[in-house]
Amino acid sequence: MKPLASSLRARQLSGYTCSSCTRQLRRQRRNYGTSSPRSPEVFDVVCVGGGPAGLSLLAALRANPITSFLKIALIESQSLTPLRSYAPSPTAYSNRCSSLTPNSVRFLKDIGAWEHVRAERVQGYGRMRIWDGVSGASIGFESESSGDGEEGVVAYMNENLNLTSALVKRVDGLGGVEVLDEQKVQDIKLGEDTEEGDFSSWPVVRTSEGKEVAARLLVGADGANSPVRTFSGIESRGWDYGRVGVVATLKMEGSGWGGEGAKIAYQRFLPTGPVACLPLPGDFSTLVWSTTPELANRLKGMSQGNFVSMVNAAFRLSPVDLSYLHDLKGGQADEVAWRVQHTPFEPEQVPMKVTSVQEGTIASFPLKLRHADTYIGERIALVGDAAHTTHPLAGQGLNQGQGDVESLARSITYSIEHGMDIGTRMSLESYNSERCTSYGAA
Amino acid sequence: MAMATPPLRPTSLRNLNLLLRTAPRFVQNQFRAQSTTSSKSSVNPTEVSHFNALASTWWDPQGSSRLLHLMNPLRHDFIRSCHAAQARPPPTSGLRYLDIGCGGGIFAESAARLSSTGLVTAIDPSPEVLAVAKMHARRDPRLSGKLTYLNTSIEGLSKPKSAEEQYDILSLFEVIEHITHPAEFLDVCKDFVKPGGWIVMSTIARTWMSWFTTKLVAEDIVGIVPRGTHDWEQYVNEQELRAYFLEGRGWNSPRVMGVIYVPGLGWKEVSGSENVGNYFFAIRKDE
Ligand SMILES: Cc1cc2nc3c(=O)[nH]c(=O)nc-3n(C[C@H](O)[C@H](O)[C@H](O)COP(=O)(O)OP(=O)(O)OC[C@H]3O[C@@H](n4cnc5c(N)ncnc54)[C@H](O)[C@@H]3O)c2cc1C
Repeated sequence: MKPLASSLRARQLSGYTCSSCTRQLRRQRRNYGTSSPRSPEVFDVVCVGGGPAGLSLLAALRANPITSFLKIALIESQSLTPLRSYAPSPTAYSNRCSSLTPNSVRFLKDIGAWEHVRAERVQGYGRMRIWDGVSGASIGFESESSGDGEEGVVAYMNENLNLTSALVKRVDGLGGVEVLDEQKVQDIKLGEDTEEGDFSSWPVVRTSEGKEVAARLLVGADGANSPVRTFSGIESRGWDYGRVGVVATLKMEGSGWGGEGAKIAYQRFLPTGPVACLPLPGDFSTLVWSTTPELANRLKGMSQGNFVSMVNAAFRLSPVDLSYLHDLKGGQADEVAWRVQHTPFEPEQVPMKVTSVQEGTIASFPLKLRHADTYIGERIALVGDAAHTTHPLAGQGLNQGQGDVESLARSITYSIEHGMDIGTRMSLESYNSERCTSYGAA
Repeated sequence: MAMATPPLRPTSLRNLNLLLRTAPRFVQNQFRAQSTTSSKSSVNPTEVSHFNALASTWWDPQGSSRLLHLMNPLRHDFIRSCHAAQARPPPTSGLRYLDIGCGGGIFAESAARLSSTGLVTAIDPSPEVLAVAKMHARRDPRLSGKLTYLNTSIEGLSKPKSAEEQYDILSLFEVIEHITHPAEFLDVCKDFVKPGGWIVMSTIARTWMSWFTTKLVAEDIVGIVPRGTHDWEQYVNEQELRAYFLEGRGWNSPRVMGVIYVPGLGWKEVSGSENVGNYFFAIRKDE
C-alpha cells in the first residue's frame, strides 16, 4: 500500500460504503486466509488511469466537501513515484506538451491543483498565427485581445508531466485515495449476489497484483485503448488519419518576435498536414508536425542538424521544396540554407530560427480520431482519451478531458445531494448529455 | 436540472398507469378495510397481477417509472426548502424519515443515502411491492442499517411513544390523491410527526386546469400518463389541504411548490403551477 493509504482505515468505515458490510468483508477475509477467494474490497469510485483526466477527477472529488467522504481507489499501471519527485532541469523540456485553455486552468485552480504546477515552466500566449502553406493565405486568428485568460492569454503551453505531478501532489495533500499504482487492470467482471449485498451490477476489477476491488462507479480514465470501455461493451468509432505527429523540443534563436511577454504560436498547413511551433518559456518551443508515417520516419532518421533545417524549412519553403528535401538522402542543412536565401518570406511572420533540437526529444505518435458511442453505462463513466481522442493540433485532447472531469464531478455532487446512487445510469445521464451529445453536436 | 429525457417506451405506458395508480390503491383499500371493516377491503386481483409486472420495471429508469425517478431529486430540493425556511435550522445529521406508500423505494433509498439522515422507515401495504423494494436495496450495501421496510399500512404501525420515536419528515408522495378520506388519513399521520417536523407530500391539484393537463395533455397528447390513470375528483386541492391543516389543528408554515413535466426538459419548478399540475405541499407541526 502506498503512503496515501495510511489515513484510510478510519475513512473506510465512515465512507459511503456501509461500515458493517466493510467489517464483514474484512472478517471473512481473515477467516479464509489468503488461499481461498477473497471478497473484493468495496469502493464508491474506482478510477482506472492516473493520467491528466484520472488525477483531476480524484483531486476534484477529494477537494469538494460534498464528495470528499467517498471511498476512492486509483489503479494505474505506471508508478506515481517519479511524479512525486518531479525535479525537472530548467534547461530542458519534455516533448509531451499540451496547450491548456483558460477554462482548464480555471478548473485546475478551482480544485486546488494549479498552485502546484511549476509556473516558471508554463508559457501563456496571446497570439496564434495560422497560414496556408500552399496559397500563403493567412487564416489565423491574431487574437491579441480575444483570449479570455489573464491578460488576453489564448492558451498556456505546459508539459503534461508538470500537470500530472501537480495533480499527484494535490491528491497526496488531500489524502484519502487508495493508490494502487504499478498494477495493471487484469480483468473486470460483474460481482456476485452475496450475503453482504447484491453486487451483481457492480464491476469488480482485479489487478495484476491480485487485488480485487468492487466499484459503485468505475471510471475509465485509462486512455485511448481503455480497458474499462472494452469491458462495458461501448463501441468507439472513428478513423486513423493515416498521419503521425512528430514532436520535439526546439531551441530557438531567441525568445520570439514579441519578446518574453508576448509569445506567439505558429501553425502552417502543408499538403501532408499541419506543422506547429508552440512557445515554451525562454528560447524553447515545442514542435508538433503532423505528417505521413513514411515522412515521419525519415525525419526521425536524420541527423539533428538536418532535422533542425527541415523544421525551419517547414515554416518557410514551398511544399514543392519540402517534398524535394524529404527525398534527399542527406545534406538537407546546406540545401535549406541555400533555398531559404532565394525564397521571399517575411521573417517576422514565421517562428524564429530553430538553432538546435533537445537531445532525445524527437518522437512520433499515431493520430487517431475516436469517439465512444456513449460515455456512460451502468456503474461506468468514461473520461478523457478513453471517451474520445482528437487531433492534438486542435489543442483539445487534454482540455476536453478536463471538461469531462468537471462535468462528471458535478453530476456526482448532484447525485449525492439528492440521495442518488452515484453509479447508476440515472445519476450519470446528465454527464452523458452534457459531454457526449455536446461533442457529437460540435 | 439538466436531465436527458429520452422518450418513454410505448410498452411501459401501461406500467406507469399502474405505478401511479395501483400502489396508492392498496393504501386506499387497506385504509378503508381498517377504518370501516367492510367487505370493500378486497384487493382487485387484476391489479395485483399488474403489480407483479410492474415490479420488474420499477427500477428501470428507462421504463415506466422514469417520471418518478426524474422527479425524485425535486422532492429533496423541496424538503431542503422547507428546512431552509425554519427560523432554527434542523440538525445536520440524524434526521428520521417515515415514507408512507414507499412503493419500490425510489424516495426511501435516496433519503437513506443523505448524510443528514439517521434512519428511514418505509412502509407499504403491498407485499409484492415491498419485496421489490427490499431486493433493490440490497444493491447498495450502504443502505443496510439505515433503511427499514415494513409491510404495513400506517394504521398497523405502532404509535411513537416519545418525541425521539417520532419522525422529522413524514412523506406521502403520490399517495394522497388516491385516498378516499384525506382528513381521516392525515389525522392518523399526525401522531408520527415530531413537534417542529414536517409532513411533505406531492399530489395533483384538483382544478380544471389540472384536469385539462393531466387528462387531456398528459394522457391524450403527450401520451405519458395513460388514459384513466387518475380519478381526478379525488385529487386533493391545495386550498383544501391548507384549510384542513390550519384550522387550529396545530400546524403552521404551509409551503407549496408547483412542478410541471416538460417533455425534453424534465420536471421544472414553475411558480404558480400548483394550480395547474403536480405540486409539492408541506406543513410543519407546531413546536
Ligand atoms: C506522444 C503524444 C503527444 C501528445 N501531444 C499532445 C499535444 O501536443 N496536445 C494535446 O492536447 N494532446 C496531446 N496528446 C494527447 C494527450 O496526451 C491526451 O489527450 C491526454 O494525455 C489524455 O489524458 P487521459 O488522462 O485521458 O489519458 P492518458 O494520459 O492516456 O492516461 C491514461 C492512463 O491510464 C493508464 N492505463 C491504461 N491502461 C491501463 C490498465 N490496463 N491498467 C492500469 N492503468 C492503465 C495509463 O498508464 C495512463 O497513465 C498527445 C498524446 C501522445 C501520446
